[in-house]
Amino acid sequence: MPESTQDRLLDQLLEYGEEPQGDEFVLDVMHRVRREQGRRKVILFVFGLIGALFGLTGAVLLSEPIARALANLPAMGTTQVALFVVAAVATYAWFMNEDIDLTV
Amino acid sequence: MISDLELAARVAGSNDQAAFQQLVERHQAPIRGFLRRLLAGDHGTADDLAQETFLIAYRKIPGWKAEGTFTSWLHTIAYRQFLQFRRKHKRQQVMAEPPDAGFDPGQAVDAEILLPRLMRLVSADERACLTLAYAAGMSHPEIVAITGLPLGTVKSHISRGRQKLQQWLKDNDHSFQTAGPDPASEARHA
Repeated sequence: MPESTQDRLLDQLLEYGEEPQGDEFVLDVMHRVRREQGRRKVILFVFGLIGALFGLTGAVLLSEPIARALANLPAMGTTQVALFVVAAVATYAWFMNEDIDLTV
Repeated sequence: MISDLELAARVAGSNDQAAFQQLVERHQAPIRGFLRRLLAGDHGTADDLAQETFLIAYRKIPGWKAEGTFTSWLHTIAYRQFLQFRRKHKRQQVMAEPPDAGFDPGQAVDAEILLPRLMRLVSADERACLTLAYAAGMSHPEIVAITGLPLGTVKSHISRGRQKLQQWLKDNDHSFQTAGPDPASEARHA
């Protein structure tokens, strides 16, 4: 076989390829993306909840000394403010969808 | 048509899944084709790695700096996935089947059958460089960016890989059948 023909054949061979197509592949990828998105939300929710609980506990425990320190502020009012701040931070994290890297 | 950059910005900015789906639809063929060649025809593993590639792209898209094209970035991820896979399975690797085993030299064969066999004749790095250069139509600097190999090494992989394939075709005097003219390929040659 002449060399030029062989070159052409090789070019054709290297370029050749019925490109793999199929909706199934795309659907599989998108299914995995949605699953990961769901997992992310669950993790964010769980950690947000834990954070809120810790925040609430801290607020309850510290409300008395803080109230005393701030002179005559009612304990219940301080608890409410702390709770509001923690809830606002948790909501912010939730809406901003902070990226958590799930890779190990 | 919306550009890759814009779609990527939508995914990064507002987690637009429809935009990401468009990116997957647009790039699945070259990425799957690239991995199929790297894996010398192991379509199942290639598709698994391609799925993983897109999933990693989805996770990392907010950090993509858009320094090259989106397709080069995807190829980089795919190539790393392939290297990781190869490292994991190095111990399980069996001796590659010689490319001419199983069919009659000189007889016309389907390119789809011949190509994976030919790919086993060259090293994995040569395979990657040849595929990126000839199938994906990438420039040498782009191949350097994707593989992380020095420019000289990329050039020598391409020329040595090509020589090996040419030699084998010469020794076996092969002709092959394609499934029909590829309009994109014809346009490139025109």
